[in-house]
Amino acid sequence: MANHNIPEVKADWEATTGIWGMSIDMDMCTGCQACVAACAMENNIPFVEEKDAGYGRSLHWIRIEHTWQGEYPDVNATSFEPIMCQQCGNAPCEPVCPVFASVHSQSEELNLQVYNRCVGTRYCANNCPYVTRVFNMRDYDRPDPLSNQFNPDVTVRRRGIMEKCTFCIQRIHKGEDLAKSEGRDIRDGEVVPACAQACPADAIVFGRIDDPASKISVMAKNGRGFKLLDSLGTLPRITYLKEEKTYGRTG
Amino acid sequence: MAVLANAAPHAQPHSNSAEHDHEAHLREEHLMLDPRPRGEMNAMVMDSMHATGWKFWVIASILAVIVVICLGYYWGLMISEGMVVAGINRPIYWGIFLVNTVFWIGISHAGTFVSALLRVFKAEFRRPFTRAAELMTTFGLVQAGLSIFMHMGRVWLAFWLFPYPNERGLWPNFHSPLSWDFLAINTYLMSSTMYLFLPLIPDLAMARDRSTGWRKVLYRILALGFRGTESEWTHLRFAMNLFAFAILPVMFSVHTIVSWDFAAAMRPGWNSTIFGPYFVVGALQSGLSAVAMVLIVIRGNMKNMKYFIRPEHLDAIGKLMLIISMAWAYFFFNDYMVQWYGGDSWTKVLLKFHEEGPLGWMWMSMLILNVALPWLILWNKNWRRNPVILFTVGFLINIAMWFERYIIIPTSLSINRFPFTYQLYKPGVEVQLSIGTLALFILLYMLASRIIPLVPVWEVQEGQMAHSLRKFGKEHVVTVSDLE
Amino acid sequence: MTEKTMLLALFPDIDPAAQAVQKLRDIGVRDDHVNVISGIPVTEAMLGRPKQTSNVPRLSAGGAVAGMLLGMFLAFWAPSSYPLNVGGQAIIPGPPTVVVLFEMTMLGMLISTFLGVFLDSRFPSYEPKEYVPEISDGKIALLIECLPEEESQIEAEMTRLGAESVKHAEAQTL
Repeated sequence: MANHNIPEVKADWEATTGIWGMSIDMDMCTGCQACVAACAMENNIPFVEEKDAGYGRSLHWIRIEHTWQGEYPDVNATSFEPIMCQQCGNAPCEPVCPVFASVHSQSEELNLQVYNRCVGTRYCANNCPYVTRVFNMRDYDRPDPLSNQFNPDVTVRRRGIMEKCTFCIQRIHKGEDLAKSEGRDIRDGEVVPACAQACPADAIVFGRIDDPASKISVMAKNGRGFKLLDSLGTLPRITYLKEEKTYGRTG
Repeated sequence: MAVLANAAPHAQPHSNSAEHDHEAHLREEHLMLDPRPRGEMNAMVMDSMHATGWKFWVIASILAVIVVICLGYYWGLMISEGMVVAGINRPIYWGIFLVNTVFWIGISHAGTFVSALLRVFKAEFRRPFTRAAELMTTFGLVQAGLSIFMHMGRVWLAFWLFPYPNERGLWPNFHSPLSWDFLAINTYLMSSTMYLFLPLIPDLAMARDRSTGWRKVLYRILALGFRGTESEWTHLRFAMNLFAFAILPVMFSVHTIVSWDFAAAMRPGWNSTIFGPYFVVGALQSGLSAVAMVLIVIRGNMKNMKYFIRPEHLDAIGKLMLIISMAWAYFFFNDYMVQWYGGDSWTKVLLKFHEEGPLGWMWMSMLILNVALPWLILWNKNWRRNPVILFTVGFLINIAMWFERYIIIPTSLSINRFPFTYQLYKPGVEVQLSIGTLALFILLYMLASRIIPLVPVWEVQEGQMAHSLRKFGKEHVVTVSDLE
Repeated sequence: MTEKTMLLALFPDIDPAAQAVQKLRDIGVRDDHVNVISGIPVTEAMLGRPKQTSNVPRLSAGGAVAGMLLGMFLAFWAPSSYPLNVGGQAIIPGPPTVVVLFEMTMLGMLISTFLGVFLDSRFPSYEPKEYVPEISDGKIALLIECLPEEESQIEAEMTRLGAESVKHAEAQTL
């Protein structure tokens, strides 16, 4: 029973549900890294040499977490877990940027990273609880023939700039433009980010979460769904599906 | 009252010699009871600026070479190559540059503390070394500012942090603790420079009156035509008083805001409400130790400074260091206790990593050098007054405070809520740039000591006027009269 | 209208200078025709001089208000001129506003205090002025503006009260 002497307290942000969302089925993910490769191709992510990548300087916007737990021989592997920017509704990375390079898009309900405005204080990366932001340590070489496969829709970032997953915002805009020119609403499944497109197991599903009939909304209501670090109140837009409903550990 | 020139403040004839010895001892002990004619003190201070041996220039040239190599070459390399030459990675996005920033802001705090707080409380021992401490504030802030610039990924766009709108009418983001940092450090740098300059004007006029050549030209310009008329003193006195009171909250705000860079973040170990005062006390801890070190160096190496800076001053600073060390231990324990008790599992991982991780030795030596060492040594008056011992303690405390910032920044950043990303931090070009900032600080201070009268002679004379010895029964007691 | 002359009497100490100030008043030299120059801050009360006034406090207060207004401009106008949502915080955030207002108020106050000293003391001024370098050795100088016929009397009285030297003050480049 609610005590009616205490007025209902609700934060402003609780009203927003977001527009675009993703669901990742960890029970289906095979850890094949196709999404990582597709993301790198789509978003002009440079190749980082082995030594730097081993030191934690790889630039992938999506990483597949997979860890082993316990002492040999009682070793358990966790299931594969692709982690990218959660496009928080209440993003901790945004307010800490002194130059508004990390802002919230009202129209798409996404976290934007404005490359041109970034001065490289890297505060946003420290304040991201999901550790999904990456920093351009240098201007990376793209030897031939890699220099021929730039995606013209995506900015090439130079050294000293923070970047992160955009939910392939260039594809979202393309889909929206097409729908607008044909005078209709955007269809479910019309916009597919590179990672979802490349996923051979169809573990990644993308769509509108504000549409209750969309595939993503149905999947998110699946009893296996949970959000990463939900207790922080960041309102992530990605729903993970897993039988145990916990991050990481399998039995 | 024959106080201005040369009188001993107690002119009675002495009946017995034991009493006389006691008075002589008191006079030897306290600068304020050992007045010399103003002209003599002026000459001593002028002499200390002129007497420059070849050793000074050798050290200065070595430092200058270090500055050029470390700040010129290596910083240039980092700007042109990118942060790849530094040691940062994911998740340790903040490294030694911010450790240095916090460290130098801490150093700069002691200058204001010594000069403003002790002025507000009329602590008389401050008089001969307020300026030496204020110079540390200004030059320390220069290093802090440089370290922030080094830390930025695109330093050539650093001016975007200035509060002005860009071509689309967008202003900086005042939600960000870094913007507060900009405002606070800017306010602090400007006000501490003005606070350094105001009491300096009469001394510059003094220097102007007794120098020739290029120094005459320089002091003439800097002294602004100050003569010492009643009205000039009135304005100056009011302004110095106001600055002493107003710069204290600014000083507290600066280091509190620096602590908010961490405390405002959503990270285990950082999100702590005690960080504000903890950082302020930490700043005083390293800053006061640095003041002690600087005074000991000045006293040992500059001509005539043994008259102005005496064991009593080392004693007083030593006591302050002991008190601040206790306060630091209190805040450290407070922070540790609450983090430990809070039960957050990631914080537990972090605390364990601090204590038992690869840098556990750093955590342990921080506690030993910051707490055990001063508590065991500084209670003893004779040890406090020994320059070698006090210098060593001050040096080790500064090492420990640097460790403290290192533990808070790169070491804590190793740990986050995603163990998959855990990394260790291996400093790269940060080492050279840290050496560069240290060399630049020492170099600036050395050069300034040739140009700026390091002892505020008029303040010393004012203090000597105000002090006298009184006898209560058989005891001689130092009394101070308030001149304002 | 006769030409006034300027005498500079140099005293080694506060006591004779205080007596001299009183003596000048007795002779009939107006207080505002006397100026005291000293190497340490000798207060008016010590010499029995009229209380000095200063505009610096008012300038400081004005500067504080100006700084606060600038802070309000930065904290209220600037974000609302280009509203951007960050992290679900309000466009004009509460607590950060306090930080901005505090820093700008202090900055305004301290800068105006500093400049107030310049303004009130007419710094910098490099033109020749009546001065002797002994002043920064701790001596106290009385600058006395008087008629030529009073000159000898003042000179005699000042010497009697312990002035080290009494002479015509000459403006010199400092």
